[in-house]
Amino acid sequence: MKKSYQLGFSYFLGKILLYGVFWIFTFLTIYPLFWLVMSSFKTTQAFQMDRLGLPNPFFFGNYPMAWKIGKFDILFGNSLFYTITTTLAVLLFSFMAGFAFAKIKSKATGWLYKSFVIGILLTLQSIMVPLFLVTNAVGLYNTRLGILIPYIGIGLPMGVYLGTEFIKSIPDALIESARIDGASYGRIFASIVVPMTKPVAITLSILTFTGIWNEFMLINILASKETIKSLPVGILKFSGALATDYGKQFAALTIGMVPMLVFYLIFRKQITQGVSAGAVKG
Amino acid sequence: MKITTSKGEERWAYWLLVLPAVLLYFAVITFPTIFSIYLSMTNFSGGQLFGAELTFVGFRHYGEMFKDPYFWLALKNNFYIILVSVFGQIPIGFVLAYVLFRKLVGLQNFFQTMVYLPNTISTIVIGVMFQSFFSPYGAYTELLKKINPTYENTLMLDPNLAMIPVLIVILWMYTGYYMIIFLANLQKIDISVIEATKIDGANEWQTLRYVILPALSGVIVTTAILAISGSLKSFDLIFAMTAGNPARRTSVLSIYMFDNAFRGAPNYPLANAISTFMVVLSLLLIVIIQKLEQRFGGRE
Repeated sequence: MKKSYQLGFSYFLGKILLYGVFWIFTFLTIYPLFWLVMSSFKTTQAFQMDRLGLPNPFFFGNYPMAWKIGKFDILFGNSLFYTITTTLAVLLFSFMAGFAFAKIKSKATGWLYKSFVIGILLTLQSIMVPLFLVTNAVGLYNTRLGILIPYIGIGLPMGVYLGTEFIKSIPDALIESARIDGASYGRIFASIVVPMTKPVAITLSILTFTGIWNEFMLINILASKETIKSLPVGILKFSGALATDYGKQFAALTIGMVPMLVFYLIFRKQITQGVSAGAVKG
Repeated sequence: MKITTSKGEERWAYWLLVLPAVLLYFAVITFPTIFSIYLSMTNFSGGQLFGAELTFVGFRHYGEMFKDPYFWLALKNNFYIILVSVFGQIPIGFVLAYVLFRKLVGLQNFFQTMVYLPNTISTIVIGVMFQSFFSPYGAYTELLKKINPTYENTLMLDPNLAMIPVLIVILWMYTGYYMIIFLANLQKIDISVIEATKIDGANEWQTLRYVILPALSGVIVTTAILAISGSLKSFDLIFAMTAGNPARRTSVLSIYMFDNAFRGAPNYPLANAISTFMVVLSLLLIVIIQKLEQRFGGRE
């Protein structure tokens, strides 16, 4: 499009303005993160002397100390366990239900499916107190199961929605011919439906994985034992009593930030797709 | 086509497939929501939950809630977040998406990554980081001191100002989210329609005004709803950044509820009244969304 109206003075002014806006955003994203990472390589004294400059010399000691104080080996393990288990369970249960909703006739589908879709927009914060009370009452407070069950439950509305909508697009004929060949519904699910759900499975995995990896609110109230907490809870510890130990705080924040940054840079495309798929209407 | 299945087998398979999801969903979301409404009208003060004798007190705790100035403070802050989202994140996100979509700048992948990046980092990390960043010892203070050496940073201490850094961080963090949504939906528009209007002599503004915006009306409604319900969800970031302080001036509904349930002496019925209020508010929003979608949507 080499339209002449685009090439005047205002065209270049417009370009400068647009680039300006994007570079400002880029700066606003990079600078705080850069400041954080650089500060993590200063001793607390060095940080107090110079709060903006580059570390000179680079001090690496904050990392092992923050790692030890934060008990990050335990927390990383827990975060991985919760995230992977929840993601697998959400995938399985969502696609099972999605298959039934999409391909098996039943009068229950209408209201069951609708109740899941409503769950997408319900604010989880509003069930935090009752969930805490119920978890306590059934004796699951401070247990891994007591954390996994809510995690899976809150992942299901989006999963069931995406799963159902996707499985609807699988041709009925495929399932009917398998039925005629004598395959059971379980068999059809495992050998026809599941292999076909790959694109939506990737989207849903990324949504669930990032959601649970960063989840803080529920685990903060459902667990008080160090040994079952996850990464975000451990990081928050560095903002309270340890807040004046700047070097270690910044190291802890960097440790908490890096895995997600790497994950994002690897799966950028899929994450972008997941976000737009997740932005569904009610 | 008639399939060689008995109705019984079909029903059996259906419930077997649906049950795990339904049970978990009802246990985690539906039951606690309903139970919360019930508890909000009792005098439950901790201890045994099931089988305990609870006195029904009606709507007393709702009255307590509406009389509490901290409730209104929290609600007001939720409202500010809605304003920043609807009139900040959505328009800026749209403009950024449009510029990227029309390839009006180069480095599209790079810029897209930079704007979206804050979304990927844990809100707890972001919150604690900006607590430091905006604090008197943080980079923000030092930068302003370079401009004005006598600058005193009271941003995080002054109750009247404390909400400003929170809102800035919220704007910074989630604009990329809306940009991605708009970008994805812009890419669904048939490119030949845009080309055709160009050939007909429409300029950039006219194309935007008469072709692209109408095509996105449904998406705009959806993002507005996401922004409003998202504002009710804000918790982690503020919890980590200010914990609602100073003087609870940066509290939002969910933090107000958290304070009543988990800080100091627990007031569970009041906390449940707040939960119920939030559920009603989100259900109300869902209804509004559906009405708006029926009117403006369906053209994506």
